[in-house]
Amino acid sequence: MGAECQYELAQAAYVKLALHALKHPAAAVNGLLVGRLLDGASSPVVVAVVDAVPLSHCPHHLPLLPTHELALNLVEDHFGAQGLTVVCYYHANALRDDADLPAVAKRVGDHIFRNFPRAAVLLLNNNKLEEAVKGKNREPVVQHPILSNSSKWISSTV
Amino acid sequence: MAAAAVAAMATAADDEARLLRLEEQAGHGGGGAWEYLCLARKLRARRPDPVLRLGLALLNNSSARSRLASEQWTLYEQVAVAAMDCHRLDVAKDCIGVLSKQFPGSARIGRLEALLFEAKGEWADAERAYALILENNPFDQIVHKRKIAIAKAQGDMSLAVEYLNKYLELFMADHDAWRELAEIYVSLQMYKQAAFCYEELILAQPTIPLYHLAYAEVLYTMGGLENLQTARKYYASTIKLTGGKNTRALFGVCLCSAAISQLTKGRNKEEESSELQSLAAEALLNDYKQRAPSKEVLITNMLKNMKLS
Repeated sequence: MGAECQYELAQAAYVKLALHALKHPAAAVNGLLVGRLLDGASSPVVVAVVDAVPLSHCPHHLPLLPTHELALNLVEDHFGAQGLTVVCYYHANALRDDADLPAVAKRVGDHIFRNFPRAAVLLLNNNKLEEAVKGKNREPVVQHPILSNSSKWISSTV
Repeated sequence: MAAAAVAAMATAADDEARLLRLEEQAGHGGGGAWEYLCLARKLRARRPDPVLRLGLALLNNSSARSRLASEQWTLYEQVAVAAMDCHRLDVAKDCIGVLSKQFPGSARIGRLEALLFEAKGEWADAERAYALILENNPFDQIVHKRKIAIAKAQGDMSLAVEYLNKYLELFMADHDAWRELAEIYVSLQMYKQAAFCYEELILAQPTIPLYHLAYAEVLYTMGGLENLQTARKYYASTIKLTGGKNTRALFGVCLCSAAISQLTKGRNKEEESSELQSLAAEALLNDYKQRAPSKEVLITNMLKNMKLS
């Protein structure tokens, strides 16, 4: 399991996740990203993220199991037909300055990792999102923790 | 009793639909702005952008404002709060200025001023202002709730929980507060405590399906055979209270049955449960056939997997 891994985020996926966060400014939002492993043999390994599936914007549904299980199952089935699988999970915190990855995000990330060893968790940077809306900053709005060898989610730069 | 709950939910949905329709209409200059604002106030809907735009338009139009007469002050208050939500603090300050000239020394205006501190992020000033109001009226529910909101906004969840518990000792019948506490517990993954809150809510208002559904979900998340069986019962009661229309509850019954059968593999299976599961599965399939036929295949596959597992 090499540590080098590149993720190519398709525009549709990126726009969907940014818009999802913007539509619910007062709540935490989360969702799944689907894609495929482009070329497992090359180094760095490239994962293409093709689409985003927004999950929820209700703060009290986030850490609850049944909806997540259903979502993972149904999304896997649906996109499996197209040869895609769940590769990432994205999350945006409700509080503006909260830059921590909440426990629930780590758990979902672990779950996805069991299925797809190159899973990643994307945390939206709320400050950057705000600046992007105002047109000031064109940097991507995600922070990008990946799974290190010691099973912890560490941050890496986009 | 169940019929009344369904009827109440139906009128709530109607109101929501009417609110959105009025918002569209008024937004395109089709009139009905005042009706929209009144409905938004009644439903306590949080729609700051349209409220701000339409409210300001009304207030700046002096002839429309004089037609409102005494109601204009409520409008000022509504617009001030919406302005703070949209971070238009200048507008909020103006509205509060007008109101405090009209009603000097009023506690209601004092709350708005403290809210403005909150919006600016000046937590210490806000807390001081609220403490002052509480000195005069220690049972001001709204101010207590704002203190909890400040704790939440600063990210101090344990403080928010502590305040909320103290609040509930005083105001045990405030259902929204119990719900808020349950949600915070869930976000902190303290599921047992969240379950307790939902139990209180179900005891107080047993005909509201939302509580049954939320309770079932928390139980499912906690896991374990007993919890799953109780969760299935509460999903079932949600289905009964909503007349079979709640998709999440239908899914919930299927998920619970699948999880229970996995846990009881090899032991004596209960016979009564299979009827519930097949009914729920059938209802789910029908629902998808009617509303989302393209996704029906997904559901059929999922149900097949569950029955096998």
